[in-house]
Parts: sequence; C-alpha cells; structure tokens
Amino acid sequence: MSIQQPVLELKNVDIGYNDALVNNVIARVLPGEIIAVLGPSGIGKTTLIRTIAGLVEPLQGEVTLHTKKKGGLGYIPQRLGLVRHASVRHNVTLGAKASIGFSKTMFEERRNRVEEAVKALGIEDKLKEPVRRLSGGQLRRVATARALAQRPQLLLADEFLSELDHQNVEVVINAVQTLLEDGTSIIMVEHHEENVRLFATRIWVIKDNQLHDYSLKEWEQSLGEEE
Amino acid sequence: MRGGWIIAVLSLLFLAWFVLNDLVDDWGRLEGGMDNLVIFVEESMWPPNWSVLEAQSYPVCENDIELFCSVGYLGMMETIKIAFVSTMLGFIGALCLSSLAARNLVPLYVALPFRFILAATRSLPSLIWAILFVIIIGFGPLAGVLAMTFYTIGYLGKLQYETYEGMPSDCLEVSRAMGLSHPSTVVSVVIPETGNHLLSQLMFMFEYNVRHGTVIGIVGAGGIGYYITTYLKFLQYDKVLALLIIIFFVVVVIDLLSLMIRSFVTDEGDVRRPTWLKGMIKLWKKRGSSSDAE
Repeated sequence: MSIQQPVLELKNVDIGYNDALVNNVIARVLPGEIIAVLGPSGIGKTTLIRTIAGLVEPLQGEVTLHTKKKGGLGYIPQRLGLVRHASVRHNVTLGAKASIGFSKTMFEERRNRVEEAVKALGIEDKLKEPVRRLSGGQLRRVATARALAQRPQLLLADEFLSELDHQNVEVVINAVQTLLEDGTSIIMVEHHEENVRLFATRIWVIKDNQLHDYSLKEWEQSLGEEE
Repeated sequence: MRGGWIIAVLSLLFLAWFVLNDLVDDWGRLEGGMDNLVIFVEESMWPPNWSVLEAQSYPVCENDIELFCSVGYLGMMETIKIAFVSTMLGFIGALCLSSLAARNLVPLYVALPFRFILAATRSLPSLIWAILFVIIIGFGPLAGVLAMTFYTIGYLGKLQYETYEGMPSDCLEVSRAMGLSHPSTVVSVVIPETGNHLLSQLMFMFEYNVRHGTVIGIVGAGGIGYYITTYLKFLQYDKVLALLIIIFFVVVVIDLLSLMIRSFVTDEGDVRRPTWLKGMIKLWKKRGSSSDAE
C-alpha cells in the first residue's frame, strides 16, 4: 500500500495576528481532497487561509507546502482579488501566467488554458469586458476561471460560492471538477451547509480556539448531537 | 469640538500674520503698488504684440504658412518637444524606480534606498538641473530634456509609489500567493489597476513640463523660455505677454486632451466624457459605418 504525499502539512501551528485565534493546529491535506472550513464569523477561518497562503506568519509551528514552486498554490480571497480596471481575459490569463514557465509555446498554452477556463465557467462572451462592469456572480466566475487557468495543486478559496445562486453554484462546481480530476486539493471557507454537503469530502470546524477535523459522516453526526 | 477647530484655524492665521509681519520691514511699500502695476501694464505690456506669430526676418522662411517660421510657434514647439520627450523618459524611469520604492510591493530595506534616490532627484528643482546640464553639455534642447527628465523621475516616482501604496491589497495578495514574480506583478496587476491615476499624473507632468520649459529656457536650455528671456532683456514686455498667452492656450489644450484621454479608461461617471467629445466619437463612428457601406 503506497502512502500519498500530502500537499499541505500543518504542525503545531498557532494562528492569529497578535493573539492566537486557533491553537495547535495539526493537519494534513492529501491530493484531491476538498476541505470545507466552518465556524462562526471572526473565529479565524480567513486567518487560517491567509496563513496557509503565506500572507500571515504563523505565531508558532510550521506550515509546509509540498507544491511546485511556480503556480502551485491558487488563492481566491473574499474580495476576489481581481484587477478591476483590466479585462476578463487579462485576469484569467494571470492564472495561466503564474504556472506556465518560459517556453516557445507559452503564449499558445496560456491562450488555450484561458479559453478552456472561460468556456467551463460560461463567460466566454465576456472576455473583452472590463471586470468592473460585471455583476457579483460573474466576478466570482472570473476568479474561479483564473484558478482554473492556473491549475494549482492546492486551491484556497474564501467564500467563493457565496453570492451565487443555485444554478451558478452548479456551474462553478462542474468547472472545478476538471481541477479535481487533475488531483488538485481545495480548502474552502463556506457558510452554507448545503454547499458543503454538495462539494466537500472533509470538514474542518473551528470551535473554542481549536480546529476539529471531521469526515463528512462524522460532521453530520456531530450536527445531530448538537441538535 | 467645532469651537476647537475654529480656535485652531484662527491661531494658525494669527501665527501666519505674525510671521509675515516679521518678514516685511516696511508696509509703506504697498502704497501706490497697484498704481505702478496699472502703469506698467498700460504702458509696457498691453496690448500683446502678436508680431511674435509672424515669420522671423532671419533665417528666411521657406514655408508657405508664415506662422510656422515665427518665434512663438518655433519656441512653443521646441518647448512641447522637450516636455514630451522628458515626460516620456521620466515616466519610464519613474515606473522602474517607484515599483521598488512602494512599501506594499517590496520589503522596507529595498524600498528605503529607492525612496532616498527619488527624494534626492526631486529635491533639485528643474532649473538647477538645467544649469547643471548646461554646464555639462552646453546650451540647447538636450540640456533641457535631461534636466526635465531627471526632475520628472523624482516627482512622478513619488506620486506613483504613493498611488501603489493606496491600491487595494487583495489583488496583490493573490499575485503573491500565486507566486507571480515582482516584474509580472507590476506589469500585470499594479499598472493596470492604477492605470487611470498613472495616466492622470503623466498628463499633469506633461503640462507641468510645458510650463517649466519656459523657466529652464531662461538658463539657455532651449524652448520658448529662451525668447522670453531675450524680450525681457530688451524690455519688450508686450511680446512677453503675447508668448505668455500662447503658453496659457497650450496648457488649456493639454488639460482638455488629458480629460479626453482619461475618459477612455475610467468608470462611467468617474470622469465624464465631455459632450463635444461624445459628439465627435459619434460622428467618427457614423463616418466609419457609411464608408464601410460604400
């Protein structure tokens, strides 16, 4: 039996800015896993994602990413991080740029990835449109297309399914399936339990300054016990 | 609270008055000053002498249109050329340096030396730069171009890094997390996101350089300033006034041009496209479609 190499390891990590919001996090993420991070507002979900992304230093412990150096990590923040004054094509191309190195075929590769990504998200008619003119739902699809074009090994997504109606959630999830087929892992902060059931394979619940790691079944049971 | 503000403003005004009073040794000088100005304008400046727009006697004008051989046209064109080239060179130089001076793009130990370089470049006024370059390479437009390029780098560099520091952090965080390199982040994220501000600063700098082209011309660095100095020396103030009116006209045109260019890159409602421009665009599109039909 072969042991899979994790894409992310958290060893005794304390997360927070000045005071720890979450203490002693020990976790690992395997390729292809979809982890939903749950917990009330202000508990430290976004800080956890930002710490994994390398934007916040952990107060203690070690965060190890086993991803390739160039474009191995994808990130969709709450505010999406799109270049508002540029076009949809420009924004989606950023993802491809992050992961495709210099080669003779790089421009063609980038173009192909962008076309595939926007097609999967149904925004191919918006390519030339400046991002600032799009609706909230369309913006989320552009941010997802950027991640799709990047093809990261680990995607961090902070509430990227919120503001989307049921139909759009399905479009985004179907599009992301192509990433999952390639073995991408996803850690996503999510508030809607129905989205978690639809999508996640494991659940991290932040409660009482601790991170609790559940399988989907264990989480359902814990919900039943709470009720 | 409101009363506190009023007291603070009044105190500052009083302090300013106190300092001014200390600086001025004789208030009696103001007496009759207005009369002097009226006499000077009536006798020496007014009306402007528009012969500056007629062809010079030497060299002989070979152009059919006399205006193109005039002091006003030649001087203004040289000033515009100097301002254009130095603004472009300065803009590129400032873009390179400012991205290394912005605290949100590079660590503090990188930003500080570049801020120091920009501050040093900016602290010398363009006139001093012009004197330096006239000493180094002699009189002429090249000294003017180099002087204004250096000043532009310092001035625009500061405006640019302050603009970068004020941009939303989320797109920078995404590019950092994705592993985009510093040059890629600057070219693909920072410049497009702040493009409207950069363009506005570029147009402001061009206008500034046109106006200052007149000043650096005084020390022999070329442009309309050279003619202004000559007329001042010969006390031909009516010609100086005519040249100043030409400069004012060019500055207004640049301002309109700036409004027009920025209207293409901003959100609708941020900078409104002027009605005359909308009309022109409509007419142009109409002409385009009718010529396609033919």
